[in-house]
Amino acid sequence: MDVVLLFVMVIGLLLIGVPIAVSLGLSSIIFLLVFSDTSLASIAQSLYQAMAGHYTLLAIPFFILASSFMSTGGVAKRIIRFSIACVGHMRGGLAIAGVFACMLFAALSGSSPATVVAIGSIVIAAMRQVGYTRDFAAGVICNAGTLGILIPPSIVMVVYASSVEVSVGRMFLAGVIPGILAGVMLMITIYIIARIRNMPKGEWRGWGEVGTSFLDAFWGLMLIAIIMIGIYGIPGITGAIFTPTEAAAVASVYAFLIASFVYRDMGPLATPEGERPISLLRKPHALITAFFHKDTRHTLFDAGKLTITLMFIIANALILKHVLTDEQIPQQIAGAMLDAGFGKIMFLIVVNIILLIGGQFMEPSGLIVIVAPLVFPIAIELGVDPIHLGIIMVVNMEIGMITPPVGLNLFVTSGVAGMPIMAVVRAALPFLAVLFVFLIMVTYIPWLSTYLPTTFMGPEIITK
Amino acid sequence: MSGSAKYHPKTRFEAFIHELEETFIAVLLGLMTLVTFANVVARYVFNSTLIWGLETTLVLFAWLVLFGISYAFKITAHLGVDAILNIVSSKTRRIMVLIAIVCCIAYAMLLLKGAWDYWAPFGGFEKTTGRWFPLGLDGSTRDQAWYETEQIPMFDWLRFIEPIFNEGEAYEKMPRFIPYIILPFGCALILFRVIQAGIRVLKGQADSLIVSHEAEDAVEEIAAKNREE
Repeated sequence: MDVVLLFVMVIGLLLIGVPIAVSLGLSSIIFLLVFSDTSLASIAQSLYQAMAGHYTLLAIPFFILASSFMSTGGVAKRIIRFSIACVGHMRGGLAIAGVFACMLFAALSGSSPATVVAIGSIVIAAMRQVGYTRDFAAGVICNAGTLGILIPPSIVMVVYASSVEVSVGRMFLAGVIPGILAGVMLMITIYIIARIRNMPKGEWRGWGEVGTSFLDAFWGLMLIAIIMIGIYGIPGITGAIFTPTEAAAVASVYAFLIASFVYRDMGPLATPEGERPISLLRKPHALITAFFHKDTRHTLFDAGKLTITLMFIIANALILKHVLTDEQIPQQIAGAMLDAGFGKIMFLIVVNIILLIGGQFMEPSGLIVIVAPLVFPIAIELGVDPIHLGIIMVVNMEIGMITPPVGLNLFVTSGVAGMPIMAVVRAALPFLAVLFVFLIMVTYIPWLSTYLPTTFMGPEIITK
Repeated sequence: MSGSAKYHPKTRFEAFIHELEETFIAVLLGLMTLVTFANVVARYVFNSTLIWGLETTLVLFAWLVLFGISYAFKITAHLGVDAILNIVSSKTRRIMVLIAIVCCIAYAMLLLKGAWDYWAPFGGFEKTTGRWFPLGLDGSTRDQAWYETEQIPMFDWLRFIEPIFNEGEAYEKMPRFIPYIILPFGCALILFRVIQAGIRVLKGQADSLIVSHEAEDAVEEIAAKNREE
């Protein structure tokens, strides 16, 4: 009963416009002070320990930073050029290229809104120029952008891994097949629609353009290789080289070097658009000044700001999580569900529904911190693989982001495409149906998520 | 400079503080990255580790977030749900936002008391008594100023604190009250910024405490560009 009160309070505060983090934190603090003997000092301590005691969460600022350097550094532009060179000549080619670019960018960044902004701001305008309707363009990007949290690296996966204590490496690997599958399903749908509606196609510029654009995008795409090889090693040659956290830090240093010294879209060697960037040989002191350049500071600051707002939510969600585990809520819910005779399938449907509704209102990582510990023990009890559960949760978050009334990606797309939110909702609908089919596939075919991690890292050992 | 579409410093002093906050955030994140990177390089190239590296990074992480929360309140960058706010009348909206601010102030005050109570023993000060509100000072607080961090080395230029906090005895490692000080400091700043936000709303200069998604600034930039074309 007390706990119902707690949740009512969280939701009530959220709806009147209290920041998510404060809603979670204030409700938990009041609950703890009234119903338990926890002191305010230990609450303050857990707020500090949310950062200082969670090595896994440390990957979040680094992945955000790497992706900020990549977005500032004009990598999106190069990835789009490469995508167009590959698939632009098909019917509906530019739209398919947009999905492809979103997939590649998702592999560099860990956030969906970031993917929509980076790719959408360029591709939507380009699609309109060659004769696509604005609705179609927005619908495509809005959906493809959600892949940002499914294709590794993914901030949401780091949060899931840290809150139920599974390996981040496993989660990342598990996202690969579903991520590619979702992308391909979207592309096929676009192709079919394009054939029916006779949409424009680009011209084939030959393998030369594929090669040149690949070389141009190469340094950006190398980041994917660094992260993947760093975390998993090269099969047969080396084992894992870094922890995911270290891989993220190395990736951000790499992204900084590429953006400042190779692409030179930012930092001391950058020039206004259209002019040739300055050669390092002519300005060797840039090696030092790049670290203090205002662009560098600005990117660091932007990434820092995003880290702060996300971690403030996660830290408070962790306090709420303590409340829930202290009160043995997960066990109670598990008991109730098992008593009611819920099987595995029914349970997964319930999880799907909770997350779809929650995903409407809450920032994905905060929602995961709260829901994951609630459903995790039940999942283990019912024999659901923890990694599989994680992927289901991530896909649910994706769909939550594009379902009205308040999906995050809808807002972002509406801003980027300059169209009203209801128009974006309508535009996204056909592709939303595709993602729903995808969700059902991911939920009921565990193989999709567990094959890669089991093959490369051995079977999952469940300790609880 | 950048920051946010929703905050523009008005006086030179405000601009200076703004610059200071942003630079501090950037420097903390930069240091975290460099220390972690250096540790990887040290391990693979020089076959050694910076033994203090991990703990330092984690402390910097805590500093980054706890310091930055107040800044995010200042520039209205915290995430929230504005679905209801956007459909009610502006009068109802104002009342809702004012209630939200009262909640945030309550949150910040509770946290500040907790942060002081947690930090005080490490700094050799007295905790406050009382469960919800500070009712007085607890004279029986045990002095824990001699607690040290696990691995972070003590800076020599900080040695002047030894006679003040540790009865003249040398610290081998950084004492804990130094990293922990961000808790009371950060929470005090949060309280300050939330009160400021409340004044802004009362004066009618702001109508919300939250943004609905993390990319709101970036989207606004693009939307502005679209309008120009």
